[in-house]
Amino acid sequence: MATRSLSRACTIGALGLTLLCAGCSVRRVVFNDVVTPEQVNFIRIGQTTILELADHIGAPDEVNESEFGVVALYNWSDTKSAALDFGTIPRLFLPYAPTMTLTKTGITPEQFQVVFDPQWTVRAYGFSRRTSEDPVIWFWPF
Amino acid sequence: MIFRRSLLLLMLLTILLQGCVVTRGTVGEPLQEEAISGIKKGTTTMAEVVSLIGAPDRIVRGNDREIFHYYYYDGKSPALLLLLLNFIRLDLKSDNLYVFFNRNGIAEEVVYGKRTGRTQFRVWPFGD
Repeated sequence: MATRSLSRACTIGALGLTLLCAGCSVRRVVFNDVVTPEQVNFIRIGQTTILELADHIGAPDEVNESEFGVVALYNWSDTKSAALDFGTIPRLFLPYAPTMTLTKTGITPEQFQVVFDPQWTVRAYGFSRRTSEDPVIWFWPF
Repeated sequence: MIFRRSLLLLMLLTILLQGCVVTRGTVGEPLQEEAISGIKKGTTTMAEVVSLIGAPDRIVRGNDREIFHYYYYDGKSPALLLLLLNFIRLDLKSDNLYVFFNRNGIAEEVVYGKRTGRTQFRVWPFGD
């Protein structure tokens, strides 16, 4: 009797979990490694060279010339996208495919910028943006 | 007996692997570290760098000097596309090589960073 009740509970649990997850789609795109403020603590304006920078955090993704000097850019991003398709379960039983989907995508391109003087030592540096800790699953678009 | 077992194994494998998608994408050619180590600061010329590594992907001008930029991107994207639930993840990283030349076209500095070695096939989209 107890075994049958446990088995029924398991079946209902599995069904509930399936219904809860049905139509969920989770996508994530991670580009490059995050550069944190702690990783760039070592930088000293007027002393740290581009070689020392590359030794610590790797080569930049871009080097461009600006009116303030040469700028090295480190890019990274963590894109999270989730969707919930309410038509998934009806599609299993109905001859047509109803669609009602809620999707949210958060693209967070981030950048660490370093400006060099003509001797290739750091003149200035900073983060263009800071990460906001968005949840991976968040499909409510409103 | 063997036929039945093989059939069962094949069925099990089919069930286990259904909905699995594995994708790999690259941009450019991997940078060869032996060729990079062949660049000697103060002696290697622009033409020698080109013969060692090839033509640069970008040429940047900075501080009145030419900078050769070589890059390589590697992306790994596994996906689990089940009947009711989908997980997709793409892990993309880049390698970058910069060769700084002086006004005489001699290599002055080499900056190289390799990240693609850490690219992984990870389907689980949660966590770091």
